[in-house]
Amino acid sequence: MSAAAAPRAGSWRNALFVAPYLAVYLALLLYPLLAGAWLSLHKADLFGGEVFVGIENFQRLTRDTVFLQAVRNTFYFVLLTVPALATISLGLALALNRPTRAAAVFRGVFFSSSVLSVTIVTLIWRLVLIPDGGLIANLLHLAGRPPIPLLSHPDLVLPAIALTTVWWCLGLPMMLYLAALQQVPAELYEAAALDNAGRWKTLTHVTLPSIRRTIVLVVIIQCVLQFQLFGQAQLLTQGGPNGASRPIVLFLYEVGFRRWDIGYAAAASEILFAVILIATLAQYLTSRGKGAER
Amino acid sequence: MARVRLDRLSKRFGAVPVLDDISLDIAAGEFVAFLGPSGCGKSTLLRMIAGLESVDAGQIHIGDRRVDQLPPGGRGVAMVFQHYALYPHMTIFENMAFGLRNAKVAKAEIEARVAEAARILEIERFLPSKPGQLSGGQRQRVAIGRAIVKKPDLFLFDEPLSNLDAALRLRTRLELAQLRRRLDATMILVTHDQVEAMTLADRIVVMSDRRIQQIGTPMEIYARPANRFVATFVGSPPMAFLDVTLNVGADGLARAALADGAGVQTAMPLADLPSSPTWRLGVRPEAAKVVAPGTGLVDAKIAFVERLGDRTLVHLRLADGGALTAEDAGTSRAAMDDIVGLAIDGPVHLFDAEDNAHHPRAPT
Amino acid sequence: MSGSAQPVGRSPWEARAGFAVMVVLALIMVLPLLWTLGLSLKANNELLRDTGSVFHGPYTLENYGSILRRAAVFRWLGNSLLVSLCTTLGVLTLSSLAGYGFARLEFPGRRWLFALVLFGLAVPEQSVIITRHQMFSALHLHNTYPGLFLPGLSAPFGVFLMTQYFKAIPVELDEAALLDGASRLRVFWSVLLPLTLPAQATLGIFTFLSSWNDYWWPLISATRSEMFTLTVGVASSQINFAQTSGLGFLMAQAVFASAPILAVYVVFQKYIVRAVSGAAVR
Repeated sequence: MSAAAAPRAGSWRNALFVAPYLAVYLALLLYPLLAGAWLSLHKADLFGGEVFVGIENFQRLTRDTVFLQAVRNTFYFVLLTVPALATISLGLALALNRPTRAAAVFRGVFFSSSVLSVTIVTLIWRLVLIPDGGLIANLLHLAGRPPIPLLSHPDLVLPAIALTTVWWCLGLPMMLYLAALQQVPAELYEAAALDNAGRWKTLTHVTLPSIRRTIVLVVIIQCVLQFQLFGQAQLLTQGGPNGASRPIVLFLYEVGFRRWDIGYAAAASEILFAVILIATLAQYLTSRGKGAER
Repeated sequence: MARVRLDRLSKRFGAVPVLDDISLDIAAGEFVAFLGPSGCGKSTLLRMIAGLESVDAGQIHIGDRRVDQLPPGGRGVAMVFQHYALYPHMTIFENMAFGLRNAKVAKAEIEARVAEAARILEIERFLPSKPGQLSGGQRQRVAIGRAIVKKPDLFLFDEPLSNLDAALRLRTRLELAQLRRRLDATMILVTHDQVEAMTLADRIVVMSDRRIQQIGTPMEIYARPANRFVATFVGSPPMAFLDVTLNVGADGLARAALADGAGVQTAMPLADLPSSPTWRLGVRPEAAKVVAPGTGLVDAKIAFVERLGDRTLVHLRLADGGALTAEDAGTSRAAMDDIVGLAIDGPVHLFDAEDNAHHPRAPT
Repeated sequence: MSGSAQPVGRSPWEARAGFAVMVVLALIMVLPLLWTLGLSLKANNELLRDTGSVFHGPYTLENYGSILRRAAVFRWLGNSLLVSLCTTLGVLTLSSLAGYGFARLEFPGRRWLFALVLFGLAVPEQSVIITRHQMFSALHLHNTYPGLFLPGLSAPFGVFLMTQYFKAIPVELDEAALLDGASRLRVFWSVLLPLTLPAQATLGIFTFLSSWNDYWWPLISATRSEMFTLTVGVASSQINFAQTSGLGFLMAQAVFASAPILAVYVVFQKYIVRAVSGAAVR
């Protein structure tokens, strides 16, 4: 079918339906994106001074130890959270993929943290993590151990933020896995049972291969989400101690909205955009092949 | 009731032509079927009449109005879709009333028309239901009802029976025929099922390969197919073709000779036939009979046998490689690999090298 | 959830052990929430001495009383509600119109424009923030309600979702309605839109939740306390942690701020889960 029921095909008037959204999209997303790319080639400040400097901002970034530390922190954080999220949520999904009432309640519990905002999550976890009367400190005290300064130790701060994040973000990948597990045809399990496959064999030879694509999808989605770490770090540590927990987005925020070096911040945001674009393309390619699953 | 005129219609999808130079005149009150294999353009033609596809070239008139530039809703046509296309969120009443409401028909009039159509189609008790609660056959009736209430000049049916099971299809076909008497409207049916076309239509338009192959009454189409395509497409099992040479027979009538010289007398004067490098003899199963070996035209081997109860279809293979199907009694004892005689006892058709058919002059 | 895809069975003993493990994990999951709730029910000066006092009485509702006496929190709550509702209504309207347009209508440049919209899915909010902020400054939109909800309307996800959904509805329905004399607008409004209600619900819940929980844009755009949304408001009192009015009060605020969304979650759990996971897969 070419013109889906459109007698006078190709009319400009038909475009009126998409015009309102396109106007908003062009003005508030595409224009800022392009203007940002242009701005990244300038030395610019809040007061409107703009001097074209070419790729100097990007060269400056490659020498900026603060930025490089932020890049390292971000990748380290992704490495801490994504594998943990992908495996723990998979375990939960496998355990809770049953039609019982109890499983439904558990699913509800594990997803519940996902509906909270980052400010609530950090408020809660601050009082869990702080050495001065926090929940963990109290538990250590019960065990006769001294408190650990989780948020002010440079080696512990990112793992602590990662723990907070895993607690917060566990629900979504679990639900994605559950949705995928529901799609595994029952005949596959019946066939495996007829072949006398044990539980482990069934898991590794039937279940996991069947949801392979979802596993890839979860990893990519989580990479994109965790790469944009901001609120947890900004609220719990302001990037400290000594920048040990400053991610790229926080760097961008500080340069752009505290130091108002907006050309430089725009350059940093282009780097962020490039990374996310690559991950999103990977996600697009993965989900497009979705029909091929099973 | 309105006359419908299609004048030199053409249509292409991108670079692909789908209809070439289609002209057709449908009388007021006539029931016409567009018959053809899938992809022949019959549905596209119907959708062009409805206004769902644009017209690249040519004109469409319904009654005295030229409609090809009018929107679908302004052409005075109603259509019954293949998958019924009932609005799932509306009740049956609302489904039938929707078009009338758009046309700003008075409320009392809408209720009267829907009630009348529901009575005719015996779907009154479903009026408050949603389409999802109805069976396929019931939805089909609602789809017809939705067309009836609009009192259109022209009804269009797009393969309306193809989604019904065999028993329901037969019943609905009969009902459609009765409905047609009662409505007294111009109707066009698109179908790939020759039985539907033969039983319902006053005239059949056989289409293939973007063109109209033949227009005629069901009997004309069957008895005097215009070319080899029509001869093959209409009739089941299809007409068989044997390579023949023509020579002169009794009374100057053409005699068609098979490879081994055995000849079939036709009813066509040889002088009336054009010259053609090759000829084919078309034989429908009912014109071919199985007889004892040596007593028929030629002997043939039975390739296989289909027993239908009331009759038996015997598929034969001739010595020269030609194949055809003969009809035998239901009690036939023909068996595979038997050698039998073939007798031709009925009308035969001649096809020239261009695949055009030649028939005896129509009895006057 | 149906039990269609069930792995092979296990013995009752194993089932009981598995259940126990789940209970423990669930407790670990809710422990921070219970801890927060506990702290919120203690007097501030008692917590100053020892947060361990949470494990025993006396408990008090005094902290919640102090919240009720602070008008700002209610203002933030109202702001969040207003901004989230405007975003949701805006996204539903724009996405439905555009989805119908992209799925059903032919117009010059349609494929190209749709590809352009899809490209937007790859643009993170953070990477357009600098220029968007400049733009809103120039238009004096910071610290206004339109300033808070407008950026949310530009997200392409809704258009993508609605386009897919409209495409899944048989074209025969449009055609039947056109033959019934309906205009394009009437086909959209009376025939197709009612059929997209499930997608509207998914998109609506997802948009509302994202907007309600958004921290990034309001943090940058709303600089005056009376224009804070709840997320930014709660964050502002958190950053002044040191000189805050007390732990118990802060925790009561956390409970108070999360209560509405958790309550909504408990009631609409099924829809929320479907919306959020549906949105992630896209």
